[in-house]
Amino acid sequence: MKYYLLPFKFTRIGDHEVFVNEVGDMLHAPIGTAEQIVNRTIEDPELYKSLVANFFISEIRIPALLDVYAERLAEKKRFLDDYTALHIFVLTLRCNQNCIYCQASSRDEHCAASSMSRENMRLAVQHMFKSRSQYLTMEFQGGEPSLEHDLFLYGIELAEEINQTEHRHLTYVLCTNSINLTDEVMATCKQYNVLISTSLDGPSWLHNQNRGKQDSYEKVVKGITKAREILGADRVSALMTASELSLNYPIEIVDEYHKLGFTSIFLRALNPYGKATDNADWEAYTNRFIEFYKQAFEHIIELNKQGHVMIEEYAAIILRKLLTPWCTGFVDLQSPAGIVNSVLIYNYDGYMYASDESRMLAEENDFTFQIGKLSESYENLVYSPKVKEWSKVWNNEAIAGCSDCALQAYCGADPVRNHSTQGDLYGFRPTSLFCKKNKAIIEYIISCVIDRYDELMPIFRNWIR
Amino acid sequence: MKLSIDRQIYSDACISKVVYWLSAQYAIERTLDGTIETLSISRNDGHPFDETELRSQCLRLLNDYKLRQTIDDETRDIRTILYAKAFADDENLTVE
Repeated sequence: MKYYLLPFKFTRIGDHEVFVNEVGDMLHAPIGTAEQIVNRTIEDPELYKSLVANFFISEIRIPALLDVYAERLAEKKRFLDDYTALHIFVLTLRCNQNCIYCQASSRDEHCAASSMSRENMRLAVQHMFKSRSQYLTMEFQGGEPSLEHDLFLYGIELAEEINQTEHRHLTYVLCTNSINLTDEVMATCKQYNVLISTSLDGPSWLHNQNRGKQDSYEKVVKGITKAREILGADRVSALMTASELSLNYPIEIVDEYHKLGFTSIFLRALNPYGKATDNADWEAYTNRFIEFYKQAFEHIIELNKQGHVMIEEYAAIILRKLLTPWCTGFVDLQSPAGIVNSVLIYNYDGYMYASDESRMLAEENDFTFQIGKLSESYENLVYSPKVKEWSKVWNNEAIAGCSDCALQAYCGADPVRNHSTQGDLYGFRPTSLFCKKNKAIIEYIISCVIDRYDELMPIFRNWIR
Repeated sequence: MKLSIDRQIYSDACISKVVYWLSAQYAIERTLDGTIETLSISRNDGHPFDETELRSQCLRLLNDYKLRQTIDDETRDIRTILYAKAFADDENLTVE
């Protein structure tokens, strides 16, 4: 049998060998097939045709459709052409909640000197427009950003003013706990079509315990209802963070989202920053989170089978990478990594940071990912020696443990996480919990596609539509 | 536990990748005598382990990495062309 190999990677999931080509297309076959492909002893003619058709092997040295394949590869990395699109403005560390897992080191809402100055907001907005991206997302975070309404409004008005001549596509997102959605805040959201991204951890008893307040749930639900009435239900989304306590209640959490009329949920693990670092055993947490994820996921599938729309957003991201030709724009699972390439942080302290997690580290006096003062020029900041140094470790195609991994196309590089959990930017995959969690969940989703194709693909197609 | 590997069958790179993944749990000393490399393996935590199972795991990993290396070696040039076509801003990169 005469053919040429094309680049691909393989792994084993369950009873299958899974093959992934350079653009993330996946095929599966019985164990032992990789050896057959390499040794040119493929026995199954249908498999042979699939391998040729999907750019795993070629009957001629240079495939006739190589240009098409190259264009597909470029499309998978199209986020690089978009330059930095997500710009996070941390207006303040002041907060009106006391979450047990707070990753942002929030402070009391009456605390002074922990909010962004108007001058730094002006500089930050100017930096945002230096990005060449035609699509700019201005995301307001905290603390609780709604406590700084004047600054929030000032930032949007500045962006609108500059955009009179820039003509970019602007999107505004307010990341809020929904407790302080005053008429003033909602009027600004209505006027500028601001999306509300809120957080809800589950049923009232669980949510209130996570938030360290007796009445948080009632206030959040009231805020969500108000935001939906004024902005429309499709302008309000929520995500949950799985505290250690939450891990015992996957079904209850999903049911709460369903009860409140949400059609999607992002099952999000804790990250090791801020108060969350108090967590005693991250390995045990990660193992429990993986089981929590699977149980919640199966319950979401059951809801879908009953005719309810409920999307698990993390799975939807992986499925888009697996089943569509497009890149997802999800900065946490990206190579080159999201830091600087796709996201920049303008912090309340007047400094630019590489990612949301980078500014969280700064609150623990770790300024590794502080890029520089907002008063410096954009070029000096984003092309600084520091950023160039990070670029050596932000491709999972080029780091040990990832470069051979068959799941590479669906995963990402995270030098900030490597630094914070393992003490160096490069990281060590055999003990990386980022690797362990992502690998377990991605393999689980792939096994769903392979082993339960007829049962789950109609649901998955709806999720990625 | 000791595991002898013929470098004429499995390259240094293949063996290094196996050692890399095992090193989370095992301390591995590598010695080379001619073409035979010997891995001396013990648990990092000193606990006993199933040597038969580990030997089987090592051989499976070695064979997988050998296959991956063959794929990488045979596809290096076409991969370079593919990436150049995808990302180089040069419309003249056409294969004749």
